[in-house]
Amino acid sequence: MKTLRAYLSTLLIAALVITSLPVAATPTAPQSMDLVSTQSVLAADRAGADRERINEILARADVQDQLLKQGVDLDEVEARVAALSDAEAQQMADQLEQLPAGAGVVGALFAVFVILLVTDILGLTDVYPFTR
Amino acid sequence: MPPMLLNNRLLNNIFSNARLAGVFIMLLLLSGCARNPVLLQSTYQALPPHAEITSVPFYAQTKFQCGPATLAMVLNHQGVDTDVEELTPQVFLPERDGSVQPEMLATVRRYERLAYPIRGTMDTLLGHLAAGDPVVVMQNLSLPIFPMWHYAVAIGYDLPNETLILRSGEIERHSMSFSRFDATWARTERWGFVVAKPGTLPAGISVRNALEAISAYEETHGPRATLSSWQAFVKRHPTNAMGQFALGNALYADQQPDAAIEAFRRATELDPTMGAAWLNLGLVLTQLEAVEAAIDALTQAAWLEGSWQQQARLALDALKKF
Repeated sequence: MKTLRAYLSTLLIAALVITSLPVAATPTAPQSMDLVSTQSVLAADRAGADRERINEILARADVQDQLLKQGVDLDEVEARVAALSDAEAQQMADQLEQLPAGAGVVGALFAVFVILLVTDILGLTDVYPFTR
Repeated sequence: MPPMLLNNRLLNNIFSNARLAGVFIMLLLLSGCARNPVLLQSTYQALPPHAEITSVPFYAQTKFQCGPATLAMVLNHQGVDTDVEELTPQVFLPERDGSVQPEMLATVRRYERLAYPIRGTMDTLLGHLAAGDPVVVMQNLSLPIFPMWHYAVAIGYDLPNETLILRSGEIERHSMSFSRFDATWARTERWGFVVAKPGTLPAGISVRNALEAISAYEETHGPRATLSSWQAFVKRHPTNAMGQFALGNALYADQQPDAAIEAFRRATELDPTMGAAWLNLGLVLTQLEAVEAAIDALTQAAWLEGSWQQQARLALDALKKF
């Protein structure tokens, strides 16, 4: 995975450099020049622009892997990755394992049960509806 | 006396002391945590004493699916026709038995609605409810060591009684004291969001959160579909250069180059160091064959250091050759 990442980064850097070359080389028809997008300015605000773009492209592949591992259907994976913004994709790639997943049910041991019962009564937690 | 017994007695002593100390520390900690969340005086003055958005439908969560259930409630409230079964494959992670925050926001956008993360304070939460926007909140109902992450929809409050009203789990109208709620909400760094149609920007959203949320919508739906949201943003924050810049891009995509030029110009007036705004202004002017004005704008962009300097120089050179 590490080496694959390294290769991919080099490849992407090369690709980005090459794709930006023709703009310099052609005897420009200025009409075809694209405007700077809002997203790239916001991203540049967050951190260095090009490095960011490379990471974002890699992040999407990572997220795809991770979603598959978490049991998401193959048909759904692509649509779910596409729905994320670059910033969200990066967050998912970096820390999906650590992100809290809202679930809302607890399978607690007895000791834990007692502790949570006490904290519930004290108004610190909200695990057992019957405490109110 | 055999050494074993001595050890046992010693251990017992240590344990009972430790237990006492533990209870003592627990009490100290608890009395420290259990105080009421303090609302600003201005909140009591500005907000009506009661508010409840009764029109939010209720979906009881099944198993671990509070993520899809809360999304169904707020999306239905915003006029989107969907339900838990349809949302589950889009947001639920089977191996994690739950749903994660980035995908909660992304799923809202798939239904052509914007998801704005709110400022994490009780005052803003109540403000959104008073304004008629239900808020999806993330809580840790349990303690940090045995986390029990949960999404719920806050739909109302009762200021005199200091209670919050939620659609939560299997309870259609769950009322909870401010202090208990805030304790569970604080464990997620007070994370929550409101859902809005394109073209509306709920009051109380921070500038940065609004920019990020609208930009994320633009990434999936394109600048034309986002134009009305940028217009709403600029109306709310007329002196924000980034907003004017984004509006310019959306207007340009909507084939309104003259209006785009105006927006880019305002961006450069508000922030003369914004290279991207000078550059885009110059590029649109070039397309309209306003050569002199274009050269002025591109010269500014080429002169400013930053990521867009190189592109500005190239455009300027090309224009001068013409």
